[in-house]
Amino acid sequence: MLTNYKTLKAGYYKVLIGLLVLTTITFVQPYMFMLDSTFGIQMLIGAVKAWIILMYYMHLKGEKLIGWTVIFAVALVVVFFAIVVVDVEHFQYKDASHITSQELDVTHTTSHEK
Amino acid sequence: MSHEYVPEIAVDRDGKEHEVQGWQGDFYGGKLGFWLFMLTEVMMFGAMFLVLTYYFSLHPADFLEASSELNVLLGGTNTVVLLISALTMGLGLLKMRNGDIAGAKLMIWATIILALLFLGIKAVEWTNEYQHGVFLGLDALQSGNEHSKPFGQILFFGMYFTMTGLHGFHIIIGIGLMLWLLKRINAGKVSTEHHILHFNIALYWDLVHLIWVFVFPYFYMIGAGDVVGGVINAH
Repeated sequence: MLTNYKTLKAGYYKVLIGLLVLTTITFVQPYMFMLDSTFGIQMLIGAVKAWIILMYYMHLKGEKLIGWTVIFAVALVVVFFAIVVVDVEHFQYKDASHITSQELDVTHTTSHEK
Repeated sequence: MSHEYVPEIAVDRDGKEHEVQGWQGDFYGGKLGFWLFMLTEVMMFGAMFLVLTYYFSLHPADFLEASSELNVLLGGTNTVVLLISALTMGLGLLKMRNGDIAGAKLMIWATIILALLFLGIKAVEWTNEYQHGVFLGLDALQSGNEHSKPFGQILFFGMYFTMTGLHGFHIIIGIGLMLWLLKRINAGKVSTEHHILHFNIALYWDLVHLIWVFVFPYFYMIGAGDVVGGVINAH
């Protein structure tokens, strides 16, 4: 039996209310404010929601070993991603690639407009 | 037939008996191991988000245009459904830890129903998109024909169906895991004292929720409303 059952249960509801408020901001933001920065704002709200879920629903708060394991692993992923981004920036077959070729876009737009 | 937890005993060379710490007994080890598994999931979805961001940087205007075609109401409803399901799953675990087995099972069933609702809404959404000619394999998402969407939109919708499909697959797996959990609880294998399986499945469900926290705004919200900011002009 948990001695602090009611406190823990109340905590779950508080987190739910916090997440619902953030979700509401997610819904209204593109229609109401900071329209020029929608992508950044949406990702920022997502990051805050993710942090709350990790800390409270996934019980990472106070979990030193697992917490640092997660931070280390995510940091490694970020480094790996950063290297990929730099690599892609210097992609030497940009003109030949089906994905990056600007020529394809122009051709396509023309055929689409027909 | 008894379902009581029977510890496995190992005897060392001096004849002393030790209880074997299996995954049921080793709560912290079970939790750490599951976190390692979840990190592989983060890498998989992280790589997809990386690809998505790269495509977005190449075709920002097409992405915003394609995003504005998605049904924010259905996607938003699913966001709230998943949010509430995370609560029911968490409350179920809390009830299990508090010795309220019946309450825990009720909460797991509630989570399963919400998960099915999520899939139902997703099915309606995909059906609508199919009827509008936007689906994997249809002409609109194949380049080089008269019905083709602009190339950036083809990439957007390709990623949209891939990522929401993979997420939906995780929901189905989650439902299977919850049904298995109920079976284990009924068999007495998961109890207030040995609830690592319940804990880890709740973690899995939170991860599924966590992924949607980024999937939803990335696909549905970036092109919603009056979002035309500097991006289209720059393009």
